[in-house]
Amino acid sequence: MAHIRDIKKRIESIKSTKQITNAMKMVAAAKLRKAQNRILKARPYADYINDMLRAIKIKNTRSLHPLLDDSTEGNKRALIVVTADRGLCGSFNSNIIRTADEYLKKNPKVDLICIGKKGNDYFKKHFGKVLQSYIDLFNEMDFSVSIDVASHILNLLLIENYSKIEVLYNEFKSAIQQNIIVKQLLPIVPSESKEVTTLDFIYEPDEKTIIEELGRKYVNVEIWRIMLESSAAEQGARMTAMDSATDNAAELIEQLTLKYNRVRQAGITKEIIEIASGAEAINN
Amino acid sequence: MNKITIEVIQPTKTKISGKYDHIIIPGIDGDFGVDWDHTPFITKIRPGILRLYTEKKIEEYAIHDGFVSVENNKVKIVCEIIEDIPEIDLKRATSSKERAEKRLKSTSEDLDFRRAEIALKKALVRISLKEE
Repeated sequence: MAHIRDIKKRIESIKSTKQITNAMKMVAAAKLRKAQNRILKARPYADYINDMLRAIKIKNTRSLHPLLDDSTEGNKRALIVVTADRGLCGSFNSNIIRTADEYLKKNPKVDLICIGKKGNDYFKKHFGKVLQSYIDLFNEMDFSVSIDVASHILNLLLIENYSKIEVLYNEFKSAIQQNIIVKQLLPIVPSESKEVTTLDFIYEPDEKTIIEELGRKYVNVEIWRIMLESSAAEQGARMTAMDSATDNAAELIEQLTLKYNRVRQAGITKEIIEIASGAEAINN
Repeated sequence: MNKITIEVIQPTKTKISGKYDHIIIPGIDGDFGVDWDHTPFITKIRPGILRLYTEKKIEEYAIHDGFVSVENNKVKIVCEIIEDIPEIDLKRATSSKERAEKRLKSTSEDLDFRRAEIALKKALVRISLKEE
């Protein structure tokens, strides 16, 4: 019976798939832990720069530096879409691409910057023009990588007169939950903080230089933080996706084994009947 | 004696966190000392040596960039590169010093010139701290 061999083959192949998905789950879990640690360690740095910028912004409401001035409404805008470089992470990439698509329908004039291979591939194909793309950054994540990205983005605002730059990314909530977030990156909007500094600082050499340097650092650390968040979310999504893939594989194996045994038994019964009826025929 | 709290924060970790009697920081317009009740102050850091004093000892670090703020007897520094003495690679610093000097001698583009100058300053800080 050829059928029985087919089932056996399928069981074997599903078993090896299950091994792979299980291994991927473990790897994702380890990478997730690493990314989570890095997020925690980056937090004081980001908070501190945010606090200082906030103190500066509260102090002078007039004549702001272009990095902090969000009063002008220009029409040159850019959107940074952060996706993963790889697939097999559930709906992680498709969700963010769908949100970006909707955003672009509402704001067709926005220029696109892609971080991550998946988004880049999609938008190159469907949107046509991608201003700048960064791929394969998530493999070896390092603070220097984010500095490169950040300096390019700063140039968009300072030299090419973009008036608003936003980021669309997956925020890491927990291993099973990611939130898609649109955040304004530039001009800088310092977030509310617990520590309110009302002190009048003496600035050396002068306020403008300080704002510019702080702004630079702010963008660096924000890009770094966003990349860490996104990679943690990606690993979380992959972990859950691979976990359910492993479960599904186990279920499939169980079903197929049952079927295999039934077919095998049916075969044996059939053979016994054949032998028995053969013997009967001889006796008669 | 009243102690000043200092925190040195890098993007990937908090490098120093502690209380000291006196601190000397290489600011962009010159080294400055922080004692109890220093005025609120923000400045950039230039490549130089960060010195932390307690009654018994002095800790020294090579610091290359960043910001410092002083308020309420709290000193906060954010920087990307800071090294203590064992972390400094003297060989690397010497070779980068030579490289920078060579570049400074051949006058070409402005940007390269500035970069070489910064590299030279960093190398000199490292070497001077290591050889002390």
